[in-house]
Amino acid sequence: MVRRALFLLGSGLALTAGAASRFPPPDFEGGHQLPVTTTPAPRELTLEYLDAAVLLATLALATWLVYRPRSRRGLAVLSVFSLAYFGFYRKGCVCAIGAVQNIALGLFDRSYAIPLTVLVFFLAPIVVALFFGRTFCAAVCPQGAIQDLVLVKPLKVPLWLEHGLGVIPFLFLGAGVIFAATGSAFLICRFDPFVPFFRLSGSLSLLTLGAAFLVAGMFIGRPYCRFFCPYGALLRLAALAAKWRVRVTPDVCTQCRLCEHACPFGAMRNPTPTGLALETPAVERKRLSWLLLLLPVLIAGGALAGYRLAPAAAQLHPTVALAEFHLANLKSPATFPPMTPEALSLERAAADPETLLASARVIRQRATLACWLLGGWVGLVILLKLVALSVRVTRTDFEPDRGACVACARCFISCPNERVRLGLPPEPGLAVAGPVPAAAGTGGA
Amino acid sequence: MNGHPAGSPCSRRQFLRGGARLLAVTGVGGLAGVLATRASAQTTRWQIDPAKCVRCGNCATKCVLKQSAVKCVHAFAMCGYCQLCTGYFEPEPNALTTAAENQLCPTNAIKRTYIEDPYYEYTIDEELCIGCAKCVEGCSRFGNGSLFLQIRHDRCVNCNECAIARNCPADAISRTPVGHPYRLKTEGH
Amino acid sequence: MNMGLVTASAIHRGALATAAVAGAFVLSIASVLLYQHATATTNDPWKSPQLLELKERLQSAPKDEAVKARIRVLDLRFRQEYRRRLQLAASGGWLVLAGSAVLVLALQAAAEAKKRLPQPRPDHEAAVRALRLAVWARCSVAVAGGIGLASMLVVAFGVRSSLDGQAGALLAGAAATTPAAGLPPPAEFARNWPRFRGPDGGGVAVGAEAPLQWDASTGAGVSWKTAVPTPGFNSPIVWGDRVFVSGATKENREVFCFDANSGKLVWQCRIELSKAPGAKTPDLPDTTGYAAPTMATDGRRVYAIFAHGDLTAVTFDGKVAWTKHLGVPKNPYGHATSLAVWQDRVIVQYDQGESGPANSKLLAFDGATGRIVWEKARPVSSSWATPIVIEAAGKTQIVTLGVPFVIAYAFADGAELWRAEILDGEVTPSPIYAGGLVMVVNPSNILAAIKPDGAGDVTATHLVWKADDNMPDVTSPVSDGELVYTVNSGGMVTCFEIKAGKKVWEHDLETEVQASPVIVGRRLYVACANGDTVVLENGRAYRELARNKLGEKVFASPAVVGGRLYLRGLTNLFCLAGAEAKP
Repeated sequence: MVRRALFLLGSGLALTAGAASRFPPPDFEGGHQLPVTTTPAPRELTLEYLDAAVLLATLALATWLVYRPRSRRGLAVLSVFSLAYFGFYRKGCVCAIGAVQNIALGLFDRSYAIPLTVLVFFLAPIVVALFFGRTFCAAVCPQGAIQDLVLVKPLKVPLWLEHGLGVIPFLFLGAGVIFAATGSAFLICRFDPFVPFFRLSGSLSLLTLGAAFLVAGMFIGRPYCRFFCPYGALLRLAALAAKWRVRVTPDVCTQCRLCEHACPFGAMRNPTPTGLALETPAVERKRLSWLLLLLPVLIAGGALAGYRLAPAAAQLHPTVALAEFHLANLKSPATFPPMTPEALSLERAAADPETLLASARVIRQRATLACWLLGGWVGLVILLKLVALSVRVTRTDFEPDRGACVACARCFISCPNERVRLGLPPEPGLAVAGPVPAAAGTGGA
Repeated sequence: MNGHPAGSPCSRRQFLRGGARLLAVTGVGGLAGVLATRASAQTTRWQIDPAKCVRCGNCATKCVLKQSAVKCVHAFAMCGYCQLCTGYFEPEPNALTTAAENQLCPTNAIKRTYIEDPYYEYTIDEELCIGCAKCVEGCSRFGNGSLFLQIRHDRCVNCNECAIARNCPADAISRTPVGHPYRLKTEGH
Repeated sequence: MNMGLVTASAIHRGALATAAVAGAFVLSIASVLLYQHATATTNDPWKSPQLLELKERLQSAPKDEAVKARIRVLDLRFRQEYRRRLQLAASGGWLVLAGSAVLVLALQAAAEAKKRLPQPRPDHEAAVRALRLAVWARCSVAVAGGIGLASMLVVAFGVRSSLDGQAGALLAGAAATTPAAGLPPPAEFARNWPRFRGPDGGGVAVGAEAPLQWDASTGAGVSWKTAVPTPGFNSPIVWGDRVFVSGATKENREVFCFDANSGKLVWQCRIELSKAPGAKTPDLPDTTGYAAPTMATDGRRVYAIFAHGDLTAVTFDGKVAWTKHLGVPKNPYGHATSLAVWQDRVIVQYDQGESGPANSKLLAFDGATGRIVWEKARPVSSSWATPIVIEAAGKTQIVTLGVPFVIAYAFADGAELWRAEILDGEVTPSPIYAGGLVMVVNPSNILAAIKPDGAGDVTATHLVWKADDNMPDVTSPVSDGELVYTVNSGGMVTCFEIKAGKKVWEHDLETEVQASPVIVGRRLYVACANGDTVVLENGRAYRELARNKLGEKVFASPAVVGGRLYLRGLTNLFCLAGAEAKP
């Protein structure tokens, strides 16, 4: 038998599918029945719709909890549920953050049909954010929930650093969309630090990254949400235009400043100081016009950097990576390591090197265009952020920043008026302070 | 522009915000409209095309699960029921026994059962199989190719981006409609 | 109030203690999991180098019960450990999770107990700070954006891409290597044994297997054995299920085709002496004979050259396609340089004369028609080495040996690319190309490694290293890209390391060797003149795996295709498929 097999080997290793009759299947005299090849069914489709329904329900519940009972405890319980359901039960793998990439891929690759559930997961939180702010982040997102629940003793990140790091999610979003749209990679999924925890399995490096995020998250509130989450960047934009917003006080702000340190996520903003107008409108206008002049420079510079990045970025695409391997092999055939996966694919795969190189070049061209756009986006993000920081915003009360607030409801209870609403006594430590002087907040007015 | 929350800038801001919201809602609605035409009620599952598979062994090590969701499956109708199964035995087996030194499978996941002279049946114990493709290689090179790899959907968590697909050198793993989640080898294929 | 403080600090202490216990628990479980992860690479049953080594050892000593027992024990242990590791990973994961939950809850309780309310004071500096904050914030955004752009550039310059830059040349090169119409793809060429010493002429069977043991006296491991009617020292070539050899006497020249599976003679083709003017039969010593050059095939025709000076193409069904007379070579021992084939061309190195240049030349023939594509005069005298065709420095090069030069020619037009003056004596060992280096043997003198990317005379510039231990005078070196082996006529096997030519080991087989060695995977096959084939381990230490008897003298080099080894004895052609091949 071996001899016969070896003969066939000799006459060409490439024999694959057509080789079914090397050893004709036997006719059993004893009438042996062939076993059936089993095909365990995937998860039911109805359960996928259940996921979408659970999302909508938790989203509605979270929104209601933030606006009506204004209950932190309710949100915490809901967070635990979301973590259990979307996190540990669904293994983090039907997720709004990752859905961004499916949408991008679906927009650019007509052969990819976006599953309806994914569409719901992408759209529902955005639509809700356009009216109510980021209630999805508050208690529905499992990634947010796990960070929210491990928070022990939040340290304050300086606001200037908060702004600087706040650029990252937008850059990550750009990269995630670009690489998904070119069919290269789902970077956002690849570097999601919490999904390995939900699965209780994953590469050591990712598990370490996740553990680092969680340990950091004990002292820095929601580090991933604030400084990395690309979907958070989208929701932040949506929340800026929200119709309703989370307010610290249910009543009138007495400017007691008790809520100033209540937000663990750096979203609380002080009222605009008055009195000493240190910058005249003229100075501000001048700065704005400079920034606008800088706009084309930054975008062009970014696009150029993106263009330089293209050859490296294209290699994330498996086809390009294989073509690169092939070309490296052409350069120095002696380094060809036999039996490695790449060598095997070149040797055995149906695609010949010519077609491989041709398709790699097409993908490279697409990636180059995409990288131009990515670079331009980076420039645009930097500039818009600078503009946003140069525009005067007038606040009269202590209030959470519309974009940064994740509606966790932690600040509510710090407000004396909220305690009055709930019929609670003032916080015990506050006894000496007595009625809070209204003058404290407005500085030297 | 003094400290007062003067009515005009406030309402202006509200107006701007309302406009932005309207724009965003229209945009999201438009996006939803475009996407809805491309969306499908069917979700997808990852699956290996056995015709493209090059048996490189990545399936055993690149899956996000500790024990890969890829398993060897057997198309019994294609099997020759060989006594000397090149998917079961080492290339130069010491003896045709089930002893460890003769077996190709590193986890003892293939059961060899005597049917009738000279035929033996080979079945895969999926609890033990790690999807290393050693047997698939042996069967494809020397035999009928009735052993092949498939992603088992009772184990697969259906990652958004399949980690094995990303590392597959032959681009053999792709999304398949959930209605037809397997690509089985059949006779004459 | 006081009571409250006492309870608060008690809660604080209790919570901290709980946290410490939970933390220690989590850490210990996590470190166990980490340890398991670290050992997984060597202990996983399908990765264990120990098991692999043992299984290889069993192949060379199939009767060793101790090895078998050791494999069984290790196999069982590794499998059990693997299952245990899986279970531990699952339960350990949940334990770590639960422990972490307790830890976090305890820490939260502790923090809650120590919580102090803010005591806000009037802030007179608010405006100044707000302004400073705005400046700092703008700076930090600019810095963050700058870092983003800079990292894009760092990645851009850090990652090499071959699609870029030389892409044009490489793609053109790749295009040039696509086979002409009707020719089999390069991959099929590489799978067969189409010329002297295999697809690239280096004696390495890529991705192939070969039998370890046989004994012709008992017939064990011998798939078939067929007598070749006409003598010849040329080595067998193999394409698909056909094995070709040639044979010649002073009067008679023949090409034989055998069935690779049965050894049956499929056809034999008699080649008439060319009727070209000046064609005659030279008188030659028996030590070389009239059919020393090995044939070559492009998968469509086989090509043979004889000491008479006739180059012939024979179709796969045994018909002469064309014959060219190249002039009777003025060669003291007789022409012995084998043919090379690349794409649609047959390369003939036709060196002659006893000293100094004497009408030596290099010719490229069109395989289909026999038309001369190009012809180059060579400034060398007689040699017996076979040229190789390599792809290096972005070009397809033909590397030839002659006295005194190693010369590389462009495959496309025969233009000389580079030369090195390092040869003398009777040049018989053929060059090889491995690890980016061309290695040539100056008979009984030195082994030299040359980088094939120079131009002009590279003697002073591109010679990477030289070695001079136990140099062969007939057989060619062989290399897997890491180690280089030479075997001299006395049977001294020497292993060098390819980077710098440092000797790794040497061993005397104490028997005459005339055939060139072959590497198949982790094994080195040395066919000795007395018929024994010594199988050594291809590695950094000398280890003999087997010594197999043929019972017939062997001067031709083995061919390895599809798990079989073809060996031409003085009278018979053998197909060896290993001990397990007995039906």
